[in-house]
Amino acid sequence: MLKLLIKKEFLNALRDTRLQVSGGILIVLMLTAVLVGKQGQNQLQKERAKAQSAMYDKWLNQGEKHPHSAAHYGQFAFKPKPVLSFLDVGLDNYTGISVFLEAHKQNEILFSAAQDSNGMTRFGEMTASLVLQVLLPLLIIFLTFNIFSKEREEGTLKLIHAQGLSMRKLFMGKVWGTYLMVLLIFLPVILLAYLLLDRQSSSLDSEVLLKFLTLTGSYAIYFLVFILLCVLISAFAKNSGFSLLTLMGLWIASCVILPKATTNLADKVYSTPSQFDFKNTVKSKVKNGIDGHNPSDERLASLKQEVLDEHGVKTIEELPVNWSGIAMQAGEEYTDQVYDAEFSKIEDIFNRQNRFSEWASFINPYLAIRNLSMALSGTDFQHHVAFAKAAENYRRDFVKKMNKDMEVNHKPGVAYSDYNVGEQMWASIEPFEYDLPSTSSIISNQWRSVTALAVWLIALFFSASLYAPKIPKL
Amino acid sequence: MKQLFHILSFEWKNLWRSNTLKVMLLVVFGAGIYGIYFGKFEMDKQEARILQVQQYERQQFDSLLTWVNLDTSLVGNKEKYQKAVSPIGSGWNKHFTYYLAHEAPPAAGLCLGQRDLFPVYYGFNVTDLARQVNTGELANPMKLLTGNFDLSYVFVFLFPLLVVALFYNLYASEKEGGTLSLLQSQSTALRKIILSKGLLRLFIVWGLAVILLLLGFLFQGISIGGKSLLFVQWLLIIFAYVMIWTVIMGCVVSLRLQSSLSAMLGLGFWLVFTLITPALLNLFVLANEPLPNRAEMIHTLRTMNGENWDNPKSFVLERFYEESPEYNDGDTVDFSKWYYASFTLLDKEANALNKEYEIQVNKRNALLEEWEWIAPAAMVHEKLSELSDTNRESHLRFVQEVHDYHKSLKELYYARIFEKGQFTVQDLKTLEKLL
Repeated sequence: MLKLLIKKEFLNALRDTRLQVSGGILIVLMLTAVLVGKQGQNQLQKERAKAQSAMYDKWLNQGEKHPHSAAHYGQFAFKPKPVLSFLDVGLDNYTGISVFLEAHKQNEILFSAAQDSNGMTRFGEMTASLVLQVLLPLLIIFLTFNIFSKEREEGTLKLIHAQGLSMRKLFMGKVWGTYLMVLLIFLPVILLAYLLLDRQSSSLDSEVLLKFLTLTGSYAIYFLVFILLCVLISAFAKNSGFSLLTLMGLWIASCVILPKATTNLADKVYSTPSQFDFKNTVKSKVKNGIDGHNPSDERLASLKQEVLDEHGVKTIEELPVNWSGIAMQAGEEYTDQVYDAEFSKIEDIFNRQNRFSEWASFINPYLAIRNLSMALSGTDFQHHVAFAKAAENYRRDFVKKMNKDMEVNHKPGVAYSDYNVGEQMWASIEPFEYDLPSTSSIISNQWRSVTALAVWLIALFFSASLYAPKIPKL
Repeated sequence: MKQLFHILSFEWKNLWRSNTLKVMLLVVFGAGIYGIYFGKFEMDKQEARILQVQQYERQQFDSLLTWVNLDTSLVGNKEKYQKAVSPIGSGWNKHFTYYLAHEAPPAAGLCLGQRDLFPVYYGFNVTDLARQVNTGELANPMKLLTGNFDLSYVFVFLFPLLVVALFYNLYASEKEGGTLSLLQSQSTALRKIILSKGLLRLFIVWGLAVILLLLGFLFQGISIGGKSLLFVQWLLIIFAYVMIWTVIMGCVVSLRLQSSLSAMLGLGFWLVFTLITPALLNLFVLANEPLPNRAEMIHTLRTMNGENWDNPKSFVLERFYEESPEYNDGDTVDFSKWYYASFTLLDKEANALNKEYEIQVNKRNALLEEWEWIAPAAMVHEKLSELSDTNRESHLRFVQEVHDYHKSLKELYYARIFEKGQFTVQDLKTLEKLL
C-alpha cells in the first residue's frame, strides 16, 4: 500500500510541467556550477601549487649565505584549494591565501579574493551547495504546499480515508514520494561531482571520498527534514494559499534573514578585538614578560648565565657554541609562546561566534547544513586555522634549524659574513605541506550541527506519527 | 480623479483590515530599524578603533615633545632626548610610528559596503611603506561571508520581496474571492481598478522607504539637506529599484494566473535577480579569471633587499641620487643614508608592481561591470556603496592618501638624515602639524 502511495506521489510530481521546468533549471544550474566551479578550482590549485614550488625553488637557489640571513629571506606558504571546495566555496573568498614566513615574526595570511573584487562578490558564488541549501528547499515547498489541501479541496482525502487507509500511512507516502522526486534532482549533480573526483583529488586529500559521501548523506538528511517540515505544515494549513505563504515566509526567514542576523548578533555578543590591541599586547608581553615581571633583558641575562654555567666558562667569547644563535632561538620561543596564547584567545572568540550559529541550527536547519557542508568541503574556519597553524609550525621548524646551525657551527670569533652555508642546508628543509583535517576531526568539531540535523529528523518523524491521525480530512 | 481617489481610499481600508499586510510591513520595518541600528553599531566600532590609534599616536608624540626639551646633563635623560631628535631612531627602533585613518564617510552606516574587508587605518614609519601596509584587520571570515545587515541590505533584498508579497494576488484575490464579476459589472474598467490598486501598493512601499531612510539619516546623524543631496540620491535609487520590481510584478499580474502561481513566479524572479544572476556572474568571472599573485611582490622586495645588503653602499645610493638629486652630496658610504635610500627604491619597485596588479584586477572587475545589468540587485548595491563611499575605490583612494602622507613625512626625515643632522624643536612642531 505504502509503495503504491509513494509511486502515486512521485508520478504526480513528475508529470507536473511547472516542476519539470523548475527541477530542470535547478539541475542545469547545479551541473554548470559544478563543472565551471571544478574548472576554476583546478586552475586556482594549479596556480597556487606552481607559486608554492616556484617559491621553494627560490629558497633552494638563494645562494650561499649565513643561516640567519636565510631565515630572514624566508619562505612562503600558499593555502591549497581544498578538493571539495568546488561544491561549497565557503569562506574561501574571504580568507587570505598566502603567508610570508620569516624569522622573528608571525605574519598575517594575506590577499583574500574579496579584497581584489568589487561589491558583486558579496552576493556569493554559484555553487552546488547554494542550489542544494537554498533553492532546492524552495522547490520542495512548491512540491508540498498543496499536497494535502489539494486533495481536501477536491474531496479525495475523505474518500481515501473512508477506504480504510490510515492518515499516518498516507502522510508517509506523500513524504517518501516527494523525497524520491527530490533525490532524482539531487542524483545528477552527485554523479557528476563523483566523476570529477579524479586521482589528483585523492592525492591532495586521502579522505576525499569519505568526506564526499558524508556530505552527500548530510544533504540527503537535510532534504528529508525539509520535506517532513513542509508536509507537516501544509497538512494542517487551512488552505493552499495560506500554506504557501507560511512556507515561503519560513523559507525567507531561515534562508535569507536569519543566517545574516545570527552572524551579526554573534559578533555583537562576542566582540572581536582589534588588530591594534592584539599586536600591542603581543609586543608588550614579549618585552615585559608574560606576567609583566620578567622583561626581555632580564630573561636574556639569566639565559646567558645559564649557558655560561653549563659550559663552565666566564665570558661569551670562551663559549664553544654561538651565543647569538642560542639567544635568538630563545627569543623566538618566547615570542611563539606569547603569540600562541594571544592567538588562541582570538581563535576562541571566533569559535564562540561561529558556535552561535551552530547552536542556532537547532531552530534553523539551514544553518546546520550550511556549517556542515562548509566543514566537509574544507572551506570553514576550522580549515583556515588549521592552515594558519601548519604554516606557522613550518616557520618555527625552519627558523629553529637555522638558529641551531648557527649555534653549533658558527664558531665564536668568526665574522657573520664569513660563515655561510649553501644549498645542502636549504635542501634539508622539506617543502611546505599541509594535510587537511580528517573527517573525524571535522565531525567532532561540527557535532552541534550534526546533532541538530539528527534532532530535527527524529523530532519531525515523531511529530508526524503523533499528529498525522489528526490531519483534518475536510 | 475623484474616482481614483475613491478606489484608493477604499482599497486602503481593505488592505489595512488584513493582518497579513500589517505583519509584512512590520517585519520589513523591523528589519529596517535593525539595519539602521546595526549600521550605526558597526560604524561606532570602527570609529572607536580609529579614535584609539589616534589617541595612542598623540600620546606617543607628546612624549617626543617632552623629551626634546629635557635637560641632557642628567644621565637618565640623554637616551630619551636622543630618541626624540634622531631621525634614524635608536638601534633597530625607528623614530616614530604615524597613523592615518580612513575616516568614516557620513552615510557609511547605511551601506557598509566593502569597508569591513579592509583596515580602517594604517600605522607606518618612514621606512618602506610597501611592507607596512600589508596588513589586515582581525575579522571573523564567517561574518565577512554573511555580510552586514545594514539598511542597504533591507532595501536591496527585502523590499523586492515586499513588492512581490503585496502584488502577487492583485488580480487573483478578486477572482478567488469571488468579487471579480462584481467589479467587471462596474462602469469603471477593470484595468483601471487593478492599476489603482497597484498604485496604492507602490505608494505604500515608497512610503515605507521614505520613513526608513529618514529614520536612518536622522539616527546616524547624516544631514538631510546636505550639499551633495545624498538623501535625494538615495531616495531616487530606491524609488527606481522599487519601480523596477513593480513593473516585473505588473507583468506577472497581467498574466492573470492563480494566486499561488503568481506568488511562485514573483519569488522566482526575486531568486533570479538577487541570487542567481549575481552568483552566476561570480562563478564565471571570479572563480575563473585569475587574480594577481601578490606574494610575488613580497618576494621581489626581499630579493631587492638582499641585494641591497650584499652590495657596497654605492649600489643603492647611486641609483637613489639619480632619482633624488636634491639629496646628492656625493656620499656613497654612509650607513644611515644607504639604509633609508634603499627603502625609497623598494617602494618604487612595489608601486610599479602594484600598478600592474591593479590593471589585472580592474580588467576582471570591468568584466563584471559589463555584465552587471543582468543583476539589478548587485547594481543597486554597488551604486549605494559608491554613494556612501564604502566601495573598493574608496579604500584605494585612502591608500593613495597614505602614500602621499608617507611621502610628505619622508621629506623632513630625509632632509635631516642626508645632512647628518638631528630634529630641532621646530622640526618636531612641523611633524606635529602633519599628524
